[in-house]
Amino acid sequence: MNILWEGFLQGMGGLWTVACVVIPLMIVLEIAESNGLLQKLNRLLAKPFRVIGLGEDGAFPVVVAVVFGITYGSGVIINHVRAGKVTPKEARVIGTFMAIAHALIEDTIIFWVLGAPLLLLLTPRLILAYVMSYVVHKRTPNVELANGDNLKAMD
Amino acid sequence: MFEVTGKMVWKGTKTGLLTTWELAKVVVPTAVIVAIFRASGFLDTLTALFAPYMGFFGLSGEAAVVLFSGYFVNLYAAAGSIMALNLTISEITICAVMLGFCHSLLVELPISQKAGSPLGYIFIIRLGCSLAVGWLLGVILP
Repeated sequence: MNILWEGFLQGMGGLWTVACVVIPLMIVLEIAESNGLLQKLNRLLAKPFRVIGLGEDGAFPVVVAVVFGITYGSGVIINHVRAGKVTPKEARVIGTFMAIAHALIEDTIIFWVLGAPLLLLLTPRLILAYVMSYVVHKRTPNVELANGDNLKAMD
Repeated sequence: MFEVTGKMVWKGTKTGLLTTWELAKVVVPTAVIVAIFRASGFLDTLTALFAPYMGFFGLSGEAAVVLFSGYFVNLYAAAGSIMALNLTISEITICAVMLGFCHSLLVELPISQKAGSPLGYIFIIRLGCSLAVGWLLGVILP
């Protein structure tokens, strides 16, 4: 029983530390989002995204995934692809970027609170995501597509 | 125009509390399970088994528990394991960076696939980045 209690206390202690960071952060994030800061960030990043072959519509799912997580980013991609806003090639670039770098705020905080340095948590993921997406962008041939539903063209 | 309303603060607080609750559901049980592992001696067996491979990343054998719980369950489980083990800061850092690239595979690989990327391709990229960066950090971190 003693062992279970000890593990429980350790878990609760760690949880408390994380909660003290996560709750204030979510408030800040909500305020930033309500003030349209996500769109501003998207515009700011337009140039670096163009290098890996993503237009404004293609960059948005990446920004969403990086800030909120892969599930949200995927939701946006699926909608964009379906609406013909994103080509299958772009979807592949976005998928690569997203798989490596997503939920950077939440994932980073968990381990930052446990003692890992912020810079090491963030930069390798961002750099490798960018480099791998660049490689995918350069190596995937362009496919001419009819307008409309691009989802079928990907199968 | 930048504005802060009570509604935003409330909504953010709710999201934060929800995240904490999701965290609690995994972190606390994992910490308990790892505590049991340690008390029963099972952790020592695992540690001995994985020590040679973990050394490649500058990690002790115990860290295998963190990596596996992160790869297959999620980052919360990995955090729970870290809390219950006695790892050095540099070990925590290496595990954290490795897991940043590759985690929650059972849940996230199908999500990637739904978004149009082949499962095997995403798996290789994520695990590859994780192992490569882990090795690099093992070499350069003290």
